[in-house]
Amino acid sequence: MKLNIIELPKDDYKGGPSSLCPGCGHDQISNVVINAAWENGVQPEKIAKMSGIGCSSKTPAYFLGKSHGFNTLHGRMPSVTTGANVTNKDLHYIGVSGDGDSASIGIGQFVHAIRRNLNMVYIIENNGVYGLTKGQYSATVEKGSQKRKADANESPPIDLCAMAINLGCTFVARSFSGSKKQLTSIMKAAISHRGTAVIDVISPCVTFSNNDESFRSYGYVKDNQSELHSYDYIPTFQPIEAVEVPEGEYKDITLFDGSTLRLETIGEDHDPTDAVGALSQIHQAEQDQRHVTGLLYYNPEPKTLDEMLNLSDTPLAELDIDKLRPSEDDLASLLADFRA
Amino acid sequence: METIVNDFTFNIATANGTGSQSANLILLQTMFEMGVPVSGKNLFPSNISGLPTWYIIRVSDAGYQAPGDRTHIQVLMNKATWEDDIETLESGTVLIYNSDVKMPVERDDLILYPIPMTKIARGLNPKLARMIANMVYVGVIAELIGLDRGILDKAVSKQFNGKEKAIELNATAIELGREYICENFEQMCPFEIESREKNPDSFIIDGNEAVALGSVFGGITLLSWYPITPSTSIAEGIISYLPRLRSDENEKVTCAVIQSEDELAAAGMVVGSGWAGGRAMTCTSGPGISLMSEFVGLAYFSEVPGVIWDVNRVGPSTGLPTRTQQGDLSMLYEVGHGDTKHLVLIPGNVEECFEFGWRAFDLAERYQTIVFGFSDLDLGMNRWICNGFDYPEKMDRGKVLHSQEEIDAIENFGRYRDVDGDGICYRTLPGSGLEPMLYRGTGHDEDAVYSENPEVYVANMERLKRKIDGARTVLPQPILREEPEKQVGIIYYGSMENTIQEIDDILEESGLKVSQCRLRSLPISPVVEEFVDNHEQIIVLEVNRDGQLYGILRKELPIELVPRVHSVAFSDGLPPRARKYSEMIREKLLEVMS
Repeated sequence: MKLNIIELPKDDYKGGPSSLCPGCGHDQISNVVINAAWENGVQPEKIAKMSGIGCSSKTPAYFLGKSHGFNTLHGRMPSVTTGANVTNKDLHYIGVSGDGDSASIGIGQFVHAIRRNLNMVYIIENNGVYGLTKGQYSATVEKGSQKRKADANESPPIDLCAMAINLGCTFVARSFSGSKKQLTSIMKAAISHRGTAVIDVISPCVTFSNNDESFRSYGYVKDNQSELHSYDYIPTFQPIEAVEVPEGEYKDITLFDGSTLRLETIGEDHDPTDAVGALSQIHQAEQDQRHVTGLLYYNPEPKTLDEMLNLSDTPLAELDIDKLRPSEDDLASLLADFRA
Repeated sequence: METIVNDFTFNIATANGTGSQSANLILLQTMFEMGVPVSGKNLFPSNISGLPTWYIIRVSDAGYQAPGDRTHIQVLMNKATWEDDIETLESGTVLIYNSDVKMPVERDDLILYPIPMTKIARGLNPKLARMIANMVYVGVIAELIGLDRGILDKAVSKQFNGKEKAIELNATAIELGREYICENFEQMCPFEIESREKNPDSFIIDGNEAVALGSVFGGITLLSWYPITPSTSIAEGIISYLPRLRSDENEKVTCAVIQSEDELAAAGMVVGSGWAGGRAMTCTSGPGISLMSEFVGLAYFSEVPGVIWDVNRVGPSTGLPTRTQQGDLSMLYEVGHGDTKHLVLIPGNVEECFEFGWRAFDLAERYQTIVFGFSDLDLGMNRWICNGFDYPEKMDRGKVLHSQEEIDAIENFGRYRDVDGDGICYRTLPGSGLEPMLYRGTGHDEDAVYSENPEVYVANMERLKRKIDGARTVLPQPILREEPEKQVGIIYYGSMENTIQEIDDILEESGLKVSQCRLRSLPISPVVEEFVDNHEQIIVLEVNRDGQLYGILRKELPIELVPRVHSVAFSDGLPPRARKYSEMIREKLLEVMS
């Protein structure tokens, strides 16, 4: 049996059987999470998988069965993750959300988790449609989208990547559930990043939104995807020379845990440390009715929430009682001050 | 003229934001340090500056802490309420007023002390005249009722935190007030303060600060909060004590504090933290509870510990944000959709605010559910005499398994399997690698697997009910004061504790001896049923319109006891006054006994 660097089989990273529609993009993303965590050699028990409500938020049941998880409330995954994160800062938090969960009901929590630079991977499985309630438009759907039973959507879409960049998010990527190699490299890099890593994954809904004219159908994305770079993720335990450097230019990003994301330029050069350039890429793609995918923005500098809070080195959940409760002397001296 | 010693009420009418709070607290602190039982009530507006504020100080050798029935000494500083305030005064009231306001005083049955407070203050410091004018009335009152000079000086120093310039300026203003009285008035003030022996252990503190300290000693590891009157000072209190009480050897803190984007997120953080093994708390008021209700339901059903303090203000909706009420009780007990029941701790004094502050965490972890602390603006934001806090009992972290051996010792472990028969199951924590599971708000079986099976659902709901019911004898039990007559019993709770003795005395004067049962938690203790059973008539006394505890009792008491239980409920936003409620009790008893 093939084992990873910490000698665990891939089965230790799998979850239960999926109950989503056959062919759902979300299941491909679950497989990417499994592969990324296994290949990175992350201890499953040191991962916490978090989600909100919706088709996407069901998926933590389908991956990482040896990790604790919390399938929370609609749009509220970020706040629950925030509370958990400051309580046990040493875990890897992988949050799964959808476009309804993050761009509509939970947009406030999406915004504020990013503002706090919560140390987590924030995956949005974005299909532009509400699945579980059977096909209503979400807030990320393109203007003019036409569904069988509804009037055309007249409102402009919310671009969660652009929003994340504007909010100072420290790792912003867009990918496609059908681009397994790209998504896996980005997923691994996001796990290795320290801070909020937003990955907006276009994930076609095969039941309600897979007609070819729909912007998030397989056909449309395949034909209209502009990739920023080609990516190779090189883990710490692998010599960097082992990765064959292709023709052309490349740039290495060293991530928090010492691993490397190698960006190989394919088309126009995009510098992921340039927020203005990243926003320009997003807006240009929208104008051209295309999807720009890849690592849009990266900034490893800002402090994460647990660093800003100056929390004790031991996770708060693991502190002994005598660290949590001030002593009897403390109380006596406090009361003496009150009485003075 | 007859002199009245240590039994009168001040009403000080000022405008918000003029610094009058400092003046009033100096008066309160001085009388307290002289050993005189006092209580202070701040009736303030929802406003930063300019709107009317009243501070009521009750001086009572009998220890009464409710606002009195009438005002004996009125201070008038505020034009806006001038006429109305004068109109309500009874004959013989002492009226101290700022004569520079140039408003008429057309009453010849009052004892008048016109004082040019603005002029005096301006002479001292023109820029700060508006603030200092308040200190002038402190000096006037001090001279009229006989406040101890040394103790007053000490109170000024304490109020201004030892800042010399401020102390000197304010002390001078007080002195000028004293001098003005001595030089210009010969008439005697009929009200007088006499020193009493002060309990050296006592000090003055508000309920919110006591809750904050209780939480810090309770081992709080996350405070997530969204500012809302009247709960904000709990959060600020916790924050202020962390450097002193919860910093480790590396000067890092053992409690996270997050000011959240709204109450939804505040509650979400509490649930996330409780899930991860933390002791998390948020504090809010009624409007915040409304927003938190979805998370309370999630915590109830997925069985995650957490603490939420509700410092009740007047509802419904935005209501009267700076006034007091007991209007959230039934909401707290059952908040959330579907069948839910929650543990509610109801302190009646500042000592209990501290105790329930730490105990809430033990109970939350023991029962793996949300525990509410239920305070109100009167208890939370007003200052009360306190004799000290007892150090907490041994910390209870509940049924958490930390090793595979512990799990193996349990036959057929499941997150939601009732091994001990008390409805409380064992849990493992994220990061432990032990029995990993996906928590969820959806239906689940004993092994935490999604289930819509009817039998599984019913068994789970019945177990949850059993779990919460089990707390009835474990939560803080009612405090009884029973009369041998066993005729009429009053059930009450929370800050009504500060009015009940006076109510009792008024009723007794009219020949009615009543027993008392102070409820300190929900769900209701079996002791309450015994109390009801032992009395012929029961009055449920509360500060709301609908008689919320009365409703809960009607639902939970044996049906044959219900006819003897009657509601006396009233709320106008003000702290409960004894005479009003005792009259309502008498009327209710006349009605039901005729």
